[in-house]
Amino acid sequence: MIDRQSILDVLRTIPDPEMPISIVDLGLIESVGVSSGADGNVVEVVALPTFVGCPALDMIRRDIESRVGEMPGVDSVRVQWVNDPPWSVDRISEAGRESLREHGVTVPDAGNRLEVHGGPATVPLTVGATAIPCPFCGSTETRLDSAFGPTRCRMIYYCDACRNAFEHLKRV
Amino acid sequence: MPDLPEHLKKPFVNMLLAAADDKLFLGHRNSEWTGLGPILEEDIAFSSLAQDDMAHASALYELAGSIDGRSADQLAFGRTAEQYRCAAIVEVPDEFDWATAIARRFFCNHFDLLRLTRFSQSAYKPLSDLARRLVAEQQVHVTHVDDWVIRLGTGTPESHKRMQQAMDAIGPLAPELFEPLDDLKPLVDAGLYPGSDFTMYDEWTATVEHVLGQAHLSAQMEVGSPEDRGGRRGVHTQYLAPMLDEMCEVYRLEPKAAW
Repeated sequence: MIDRQSILDVLRTIPDPEMPISIVDLGLIESVGVSSGADGNVVEVVALPTFVGCPALDMIRRDIESRVGEMPGVDSVRVQWVNDPPWSVDRISEAGRESLREHGVTVPDAGNRLEVHGGPATVPLTVGATAIPCPFCGSTETRLDSAFGPTRCRMIYYCDACRNAFEHLKRV
Repeated sequence: MPDLPEHLKKPFVNMLLAAADDKLFLGHRNSEWTGLGPILEEDIAFSSLAQDDMAHASALYELAGSIDGRSADQLAFGRTAEQYRCAAIVEVPDEFDWATAIARRFFCNHFDLLRLTRFSQSAYKPLSDLARRLVAEQQVHVTHVDDWVIRLGTGTPESHKRMQQAMDAIGPLAPELFEPLDDLKPLVDAGLYPGSDFTMYDEWTATVEHVLGQAHLSAQMEVGSPEDRGGRRGVHTQYLAPMLDEMCEVYRLEPKAAW
C-alpha cells in the first residue's frame, strides 16, 4: 500500500503555475485517498479551486496526474475538483505566506470578514481604504493601485516608502 | 450527483441558463473593452471582470449540462437566439461609452449578487457549493462598480452629467432582470431557489438607490408591463443575434472540435 504521506510529499513539490508556492501550501489539497482493487492502486486527490474556472486548474490536474502517477506502485491517479469546503486565502500555510511574501505577494490576514448581503465581504477596493504592510520594506504607507492584476486572484498595491509595487491576494 | 425530481429538471436547468446567459453576454460585452479601457488599470479590470463572468457562466453551464446531458460549449454556443434566457440589459451595445458600461455593470452586478446568494441557499448541493464560491467573487465586482459609480457621480460636473445620462439610458432596462421565468414557483417551493422575487426586488432597489444617493445620481427603474419584451422567455432585442453570430463564428465551423 502506498503511504499517504509520501503522496503529500510529492504534491508538495508541485508549484502553482502562477505563483511561487506549492499547491499544498496554497491549501488546494483537501484530501488524498488510496484504494486497491481491480484497477490496481488508485490514488484519488480531492482539490479545491481558488477561483472558479481558474485557467490554471487543468494544468494543476495534469501535474498531479503525472507526478503522482510516476510514484512506484501507483497505477492510476484521479483528481477531483470540489467546491465544498470553499477554498479561501485562510487555507494558505505559514510557509506559503512566507514564500509569497519573499516574492512580493502579500496575503490578507485570517478572519476580519464582514457580512454584506448575507455573504462575505472582500477587502475594500476603494483606493487608500486599507493599509497592507509592504512585503519589501514593511511600511504601511501603501495604497491600492489597481483592484485587478495579472491574474484574477491578485490586486496591485504600491508602497510610497520604498516605491515598489507589490501584489496582494484578494480575499475570497 | 443528487437526483432532482424529474418534473423540476427542466425549470431548474432553465433557471441556471438564465443566470449563465446573463453572465455570458455581460462578460462578452465587457471583453469588448480589452485594449480600449479609459486607463490601464480599468482595461485590466474590465478584462478580469469579463474573465470572471465567463468563468461563472461556464461553471453554471456545466452544472446545467450535468442535469440535461448537454456540454457547456453546446449550451453556451449551440443554441439559437430565442433559446437564450438573458435579459435585454446585457444585450444592448454600450457604444464604447464608459459611463454606459459602468451603469450596465452596476445594475447587473447587484442583481447577480442577490441571485447567487439565493443559489447559495439552494437545496441542490452542487449549486449551493458552487454559488458560495461565486458569491465571494461577485462581492469584488459589486465593490468595484459601486466605487466607480460614486467616483464618477461625485467627480466633476462633466463626469456627473455623463454618468447621469448613462443611468437614464440603462436604468429603464434594469428591472427586466426580474422578469419571471416559467415554472419558477415549484423550484421556490422545493427549496431549490429559496426566497422570493419580491423580497429580492425590494432589496435590490434599496441597495441600488442607496449607492445612487451617495453618487448624487438617480435612475428610473419602473417595472414595465409583462408584455413589453421577454428575454426570460426568449424574446430578445435586435442586438442578440449579431452578437451571437460573432461569438459563435469559430464554434460553428467545427461544433465537435475538442479544445
